[in-house]
Amino acid sequence: MIARLAIAALTRRRARTALTVAGVAVAAAMLLDMVMLGSGMRESFRGFIDQQGFQLRLTPRGTMPFDSEATVGGATALVATLRADPDIVRVGPVLGGKHFVAVDTGVVAGFLLGIDPAAQGDYRLEAGHDLAAADEIVVSTAWLAATGRALGDTVRVAGGYDPQLRRATGERTLRIVGQGRFQMLAASDRAAAVPLATAQAMGGADRADRVSVLLVETRGAADAEAVAARIEASEARLTALSTEAALKFVDERLGYFRQLAFILASVSLAVGFLLVTTLVTVSVNERIGEIAVMRAIGVARARIVSQIVLEGVALSLAGATLGLGLGLVTARWLNGILATFPGLPAAFDFFRFEPGAAFRALGLLVCCGIAAGVWPAWRAATLPIATTLREEAVA
Amino acid sequence: MPPAPRPLLAGLLAGVLLLPTFRPASVSAQVSTPAAPRTIAIDERLAAAAGLAVGDTVRLAATAGSPGDLVRIAAITRRGADPSEVARNEFKVRLHLDHLQSLTGSGDRVGRFAVRSRGAPSGDAAAPDRVAAAINQSAFGFRAYPASAVAVETSSTFRVVNRFHRAIGVITIVASAIFLLCITLLKVDERRRDVGALRLIGCARATVLRAIVLEATLVALIGSILGAALGWAASAIVNWYYQGVYQTPLRFTLVTPGIVGFAVALSLVLGVVSGILAGRRLVRTAPLELVGR
Amino acid sequence: MTVTPVLSAQSIRRAYPLAGRSVEAVRGLSLDVMAGEWVAVVGPSGCGKSTLLNLLGAIDRPTAGRIVIAGRDVSALGDAEATRFRLTGVGFVFQRFYLMPTLTAAENVELPMAEARMPRAARSARARELLAYVGLDGRAEHRPFQLSGGEQQRVAIARALANRPALLLADEPTGELDARTGAEMIALLDRLNHDGTTIVTVTHDEELAQAARRVVHMRDGVIVDDVVRRPLEATA
Ligand SMILES: Nc1ncnc2c1ncn2[C@@H]1O[C@H](COP(=O)(O)OP(=O)(O)OP(=O)(O)O)[C@@H](O)[C@H]1O
Ligand SMILES: [Mg+2]
Repeated sequence: MIARLAIAALTRRRARTALTVAGVAVAAAMLLDMVMLGSGMRESFRGFIDQQGFQLRLTPRGTMPFDSEATVGGATALVATLRADPDIVRVGPVLGGKHFVAVDTGVVAGFLLGIDPAAQGDYRLEAGHDLAAADEIVVSTAWLAATGRALGDTVRVAGGYDPQLRRATGERTLRIVGQGRFQMLAASDRAAAVPLATAQAMGGADRADRVSVLLVETRGAADAEAVAARIEASEARLTALSTEAALKFVDERLGYFRQLAFILASVSLAVGFLLVTTLVTVSVNERIGEIAVMRAIGVARARIVSQIVLEGVALSLAGATLGLGLGLVTARWLNGILATFPGLPAAFDFFRFEPGAAFRALGLLVCCGIAAGVWPAWRAATLPIATTLREEAVA
Repeated sequence: MPPAPRPLLAGLLAGVLLLPTFRPASVSAQVSTPAAPRTIAIDERLAAAAGLAVGDTVRLAATAGSPGDLVRIAAITRRGADPSEVARNEFKVRLHLDHLQSLTGSGDRVGRFAVRSRGAPSGDAAAPDRVAAAINQSAFGFRAYPASAVAVETSSTFRVVNRFHRAIGVITIVASAIFLLCITLLKVDERRRDVGALRLIGCARATVLRAIVLEATLVALIGSILGAALGWAASAIVNWYYQGVYQTPLRFTLVTPGIVGFAVALSLVLGVVSGILAGRRLVRTAPLELVGR
Repeated sequence: MTVTPVLSAQSIRRAYPLAGRSVEAVRGLSLDVMAGEWVAVVGPSGCGKSTLLNLLGAIDRPTAGRIVIAGRDVSALGDAEATRFRLTGVGFVFQRFYLMPTLTAAENVELPMAEARMPRAARSARARELLAYVGLDGRAEHRPFQLSGGEQQRVAIARALANRPALLLADEPTGELDARTGAEMIALLDRLNHDGTTIVTVTHDEELAQAARRVVHMRDGVIVDDVVRRPLEATA
């Protein structure tokens, strides 16, 4: 009966109930999107890092991986020392650089990674086989498209290009053995990987025995942070960045997005609260006489309160349900806009749906709906019955 | 509706994603003993971080461990309002070209030249393109790009962010439209009895409707003025905050007369429209029903 | 008299604070009502009749004095108990019916029973029974706006009787009705009283006052005259 009355109260003025639900739905969608935005990038990034399977990244001291052209020398000895560490399982040296391929229409330039095929996390093989010999190369789909070559072809690849002399340097003849997806690069990037020694040789004297990054996998039980601290203490040329530190760094840099998400999410909650509380207040004011009558014929306070609170809950629940769908659609739309970001890994998500976080956010909205009903409900429950009936009779 | 902030994120993302963006070798600085002929200029953030001041002497080396040069800090620079630098943490040190060339062993090489064309200052928009084309024709080993092309290239990130903000703006506008309509409808509905009584004592529909619309318009007007003030204050806070966080003179949000005009006009239109919609519903209902019988 | 009073009000007062001073609507009124009686309270407008009835129905509280109904001191109840008392101890009929506009006639009658946690089947059966009693079988599924004033007042009486109260209170039950429907209402009240319901009505309606067993005259918040027209023994 009480539920009937609550439903009747909501359906009595359909237009405004529908509008309120729509308003709450938009607020819920916004809230959901902002929650998704708040965690999406970080989680995407963590996904990339975890996929690589390395807990530490060693870079020339003071730099971020591939953030500069800085390299570290004496790589062979460095790798040997690291591999001797009992807490370290795998070491993957990487040398980053550029490469050039002559095609009919000119020169195609792209990224070149020198890696150790046994310990690399930069690409995933999609076709062909992995690097086995010094004269082999794994390339991205975009690379094949740009050069017009195919798997199995042999190409001339240069490690440098002297613009003054218009002459390629460090040229090698390489066989395309694999097609890979380079995880940290955009799908449109022309990327290629060759064995580390080949990349070092193609870079000339500048790059001999040098690496840009060393990827380190620590033993399961070992504390990555402790290993990082130990490496930094013993090797002055290196900075060791753990996954957590990298994520912390991301968090710092993503401050803007998280703050934007937080502010907009708060505004959404406030808007939802305001809508529901306004509607419930007005609807209680309209029914104040009916409520006084119910009280007069013996309906308990708690019943009145729960009926009104139920109204707020129904409104916010309906809004949240609609908002869930709406939020997922708008998140996809917004993600589509941000996906055109230049130079972004193709699989990178700005908005990521985490059921736990999403439902917590929508739960918060419903809590706001409950809170929104509390004040008008309390007012209705404590009204002076006789006076209210008298006022209603006058009106 | 406060205008959406338009922070500039290129640097943010470049840094965040740790993409292979190759830049000139970084220069590290260490405090050392005095007396050095060459001078450098350093970033104010470096000065703050390393406790350096104009007149200090430091040792400057191209790579960690190499001896480098003793140099004197002659100036402290503040970075420009360049969006692409917003989130980058590197410190920039400026030195004379020949000094850097000798320090890094680059010989007589440079990364790029900046060229000012004769036509540009006088407002000849096509001049840079002509000059670039002429240079490219006779160029040997390099290419010339007009500044506008470079701007387009580097601003593609910002166009994306702009579109993102515009999309959020659209959602905000839809939300506030619904919100406004809803509130107006509720407010007007609260007047059922008054309107019913007015109609019963013989007020014309048009009179009642006019009164309702006038009220909705006034509310929207006052609200949008307050909103514009709030937006301006929010924008000031956002600028103050992010300029501090990223240490840049870049302005993150901009409240222009156009934006204020748009927001005020939009809320006025929404207010009037929702007033008319809600009012029409009310005056079309039989007055007896309005007074509750 | 062998019958115990079902209602006993002793020196009750009700003052309203009004613009700094206080106005007493009921000033030291005492009244006993026996089980099976039908009392009509009459008096000039503003003499405190409605105020008295609200006090008797525990809708309002006296500022002084005691009201005992069916052995309970109603004037001292807390909100929860007073609510419970209104639900099961008395039935209240308002001048303007006050039905829930969103519920059907049957649901309006069921509302107090649902609140008293009567099982669904039992309350729906009793609602039909009561509606039939007040002469409204066939109108159970109608909503208040589909009923005439007289019919609405009958639903209101059925609702007031739902939880078998010891006392039925009615504030000008014919006030909004025309002479003919008013007469039907009086007949219904008479039948109710015949069947054993104790009734207190407030009224301006001469016909209604004539129909009651006892007429209490009020002026300025006190009883000035009390006439028993038909003693209980006459029908008992
Ligand atoms: N809530 C209140 N606040 C102030 N004064 C009140 C209030 N309720 C009633 N009164 C005053 O108490 C007096 C008695 O009112 P009451 O409604 O009991 O009269 P009544 O006898 O029922 O009149 P009527 O026959 O016109 O219904 C009146 O003078 C009225 O103004
Ligand atoms: Mg009265």
